[in-house]
Amino acid sequence: MGYEWRFDVLEGNLEFLLGGLGLTIGLSVLSMIGSLILGLLLGIARLSPWRGMQFVTTIYSDFLRGTPLLVQLLWIYYSLPILTGVVFSPIASAAIALTFNLSAFVSEIFRAGIQSIGRGQREAALALGMTGWQTMTRVILPQAVRRVIPPLGSVWVSLFKDTALVSVIAVPELMYRGKVLSIETYRPVEIYTVVALIYFFVTFPQARAVDWLFERARVRS
Amino acid sequence: MSEHEAHDVLIEVRNLDKSFGDLQVLRGIDLNIRRGEVVVIIGPSGSGKSTLLRCLNRLEDPTSGSVKIDGVDITTRNVNLPRVRRQVGMVFQHFNLFPHMTALENVMEGPRTVLHMSRSDAECLAQGLLVKVGLADKANGKPANLSGGQQQRVAIARALAMNPDAMLFDEVTSALDPELVGEVLNVMRKLADEGMTMVVVTHEMSFARRVADRVVFLDQGLLVEEGPPDRIFHRAGHERTRQFLDQLHWDIASE
Repeated sequence: MGYEWRFDVLEGNLEFLLGGLGLTIGLSVLSMIGSLILGLLLGIARLSPWRGMQFVTTIYSDFLRGTPLLVQLLWIYYSLPILTGVVFSPIASAAIALTFNLSAFVSEIFRAGIQSIGRGQREAALALGMTGWQTMTRVILPQAVRRVIPPLGSVWVSLFKDTALVSVIAVPELMYRGKVLSIETYRPVEIYTVVALIYFFVTFPQARAVDWLFERARVRS
Repeated sequence: MSEHEAHDVLIEVRNLDKSFGDLQVLRGIDLNIRRGEVVVIIGPSGSGKSTLLRCLNRLEDPTSGSVKIDGVDITTRNVNLPRVRRQVGMVFQHFNLFPHMTALENVMEGPRTVLHMSRSDAECLAQGLLVKVGLADKANGKPANLSGGQQQRVAIARALAMNPDAMLFDEVTSALDPELVGEVLNVMRKLADEGMTMVVVTHEMSFARRVADRVVFLDQGLLVEEGPPDRIFHRAGHERTRQFLDQLHWDIASE
């Protein structure tokens, strides 16, 4: 196995890779924020007493969780423009696909978090004369949000790595730039190793932080 | 009933039925509660006591029959439930304080969110109520750091903060260690002395005997009998009432 490592190919190229990391982070943050908002609304809607609302949101969530993210991404980028005439840029397509896909998982987490708050809390709030909405926003959600922070942290860590998928539609993020460099330099071993290490050094502390959040939540309960 | 008496009735229960699926929990309950009256509901577990209480603020929907609060039927479809519930405070067996708020914030929550009271007014009101239940020094404590008895007294203050016409107490001492029961009952007794209309589901027979104006005995969803505590505890008209009290080792001779 006499492979001769040539990390000097990175010279002048590392900045190009790290620029991609910036886009990876930006895309992750944007998708996370979008999916938190959408997921929270969907999670509440799934608990609506109105059957039609439950049905629609359940289908939405099942469908997005039951199809590959890669397929959703390609569908939004290639199929949607043909069907509707609306064309999104690669970055916009990526953000939309990630947000919708993630919102299904986030909504399940919020739903479970809301349901984990004891019935007595809801009853105490209603007995004071609160409306359903006041009960949700003043009593249930403030408690549920604390409980869902650890699982949402896990979603964030997965999301961060899953953004590599969007390289297939030429979003110039870290993975895509790695692919470009490996072709230009004929050095896939060094380039992809470095790309993997960059992902790892950014992801690892966050994964550990999420473990810590879970542990803290376990100790508190 | 005369016009004067009719005006006196705050809560009027008529022919109330409640079923959970096939299980009939309440059967044709009739009950009037007058302003300022303390009514204690006793009976074996599963007799429907708590369900009856929870029908009085529509935490349970009656299957049939009516409940009127201050003359307004609260069992109709389009009744404004939050408005009804403002009038009727409730205290629960497991306190159900909001764990993310301090004691003071718990008491302020109803006035702030439901009545839209200003922060300073709500805080002033809540402080006063915490003094009343003997917990002025615990205002900034979180529920998790309070004893069960303290939590339950905060829960009473929280319900009182809405300035309700009546208070419902659902086995409020059942989850407490025995040495903490007294402090909660004392607060309730003080309320009764001040003329609060109270409906109390409890197993504390000494409280029923000393504080109740009227005791109601429920068994298997039926209102078996009601009357002044002295009569129910010493000269109950029904065998089932006597059996129930005997099972509690209610020692009449020692009284």
